[in-house]
Amino acid sequence: MARWEVFKKDNARKPYQAVGSVHAVDPEHALHNAKNVFVRRPAAVSLWVAPAAAIFSRSAEELENQPLDPTANGHEQRYLVFRKASNRRSMTFMDHIGETSAPNGESALAQAIDQFDDKPGLAWWVIPAEAITASEEDVAEAWFAPAATKTYKQQSQYGFVSKLREGRKGAVTSDE
Amino acid sequence: MTEEQKTAEFEERIGRDEKIEPGDWMPEKYRKQLIRMISQHAHSEVIGMLPEGKWIPHAPSLRRKMILIAKVQDEAGHGQYLYHAAETLGVTREELYQAFLDGRAKYSSIFNYPSLSWADVGMIGWLVDGAAIKNQTMLAQCSYGPYSRAMVRICAEETFHHKQGKEMVLKYAAGTAKQRDMVQDALNRYWWPSLMMLGPHDSESTNTPQLVKWGVKTKTNDEVRQEFIAETAPELIASGLTIPDPDLHQDEDGVWHHGPIDWDEFWNVVKGNGPCNAERLGMRQDAHDNGQWVRDALEAYSEKKYGAAAFA
Repeated sequence: MARWEVFKKDNARKPYQAVGSVHAVDPEHALHNAKNVFVRRPAAVSLWVAPAAAIFSRSAEELENQPLDPTANGHEQRYLVFRKASNRRSMTFMDHIGETSAPNGESALAQAIDQFDDKPGLAWWVIPAEAITASEEDVAEAWFAPAATKTYKQQSQYGFVSKLREGRKGAVTSDE
Repeated sequence: MTEEQKTAEFEERIGRDEKIEPGDWMPEKYRKQLIRMISQHAHSEVIGMLPEGKWIPHAPSLRRKMILIAKVQDEAGHGQYLYHAAETLGVTREELYQAFLDGRAKYSSIFNYPSLSWADVGMIGWLVDGAAIKNQTMLAQCSYGPYSRAMVRICAEETFHHKQGKEMVLKYAAGTAKQRDMVQDALNRYWWPSLMMLGPHDSESTNTPQLVKWGVKTKTNDEVRQEFIAETAPELIASGLTIPDPDLHQDEDGVWHHGPIDWDEFWNVVKGNGPCNAERLGMRQDAHDNGQWVRDALEAYSEKKYGAAAFA
């Protein structure tokens, strides 16, 4: 089964972020798997999936050792640009930072590096816009809202669980 | 550049706290060790669903049932995060999974012990997930980007597993005589395997020095085990339970010392002779075989809609 990279948007202000991958036969299947694997907790308003095979990927080290060689081969199309800009501890890889138009992935990345020069990229992905499938807006409520009500999955709901400091003991249930 | 020069540069990068990302050069041994560790970890998550999953129908309340279902779902998800991380090193989920089903790949020894009572669910959450979190928090600092990210994501969810287990055990420890007996029995059976699951002593762990040097691990097995005991033992004692180690004590400097660990038992379980090895793998194989028609149906549907191998 093909591998699909998954991008999750946590809220209206956050960019789509690369969270990991799933295996699936087609975009709908990939989105369902993405929901089950990456949205068991709150903080998602939308998902994107893209077949891994459609991604043009370079790390900073690869770019240094093998400079890009943009050509005019291919048909001009929109590419979405993703970049990793920090080594900070994180559960996400790359952020969606914008888009560019180019005839192929290598040229798209060369342009993107010029275009998005506010921060140095530690790793880059460019993906043809047409290869990306988004979760449907009319399922957003059904897909993403229920996680927020399942508070028993939130470690914060348990407070401070300890015998050593009784006074600070958190949520204790009385159903058994 | 020679292999030595590349390795020196690689080690400098790790020294600067840079993350190694897919596409970057890495020593073959680093790649192999990571594939071994990450896939063993993934298999452990997958097999870890079994001892607890079996208790879902017997949960004593709706709340406990929902918690346990969520926890088992999390383990399935954690397996997927980890297979993803391993795949970035040039292997596929399918081949890793096949090695697991064939018994060629290892998984955590702890999951080959039976879960005999409902109290085991609490004890597994507190001790087994507690020990796992110690390890995972350390691995979240790992030099390999995809592994570290998977660990950060897992730790955030695993903390819930740990807390719900601890909450349950403390409650039963303060409960009826029957409840106390149940959790004491669970502690008697899970204490030693929980210490063992953190791996052989440093003197026996041949991989550790290299893994520490390359920033895969940032602590040794004994250091993590020591942290685990220091955090867990006082809580267990305060709960009124008895830790099944007569030699366990704290010295004047506050350092915990435990009695000898039965490493023959550990290696015997690792080698496949634990109480439940065959049963666990058998259940995974059944699940895999019984899911074949689902995979076939998905493929057929996709082929009809998009054409053959549209996304391969």
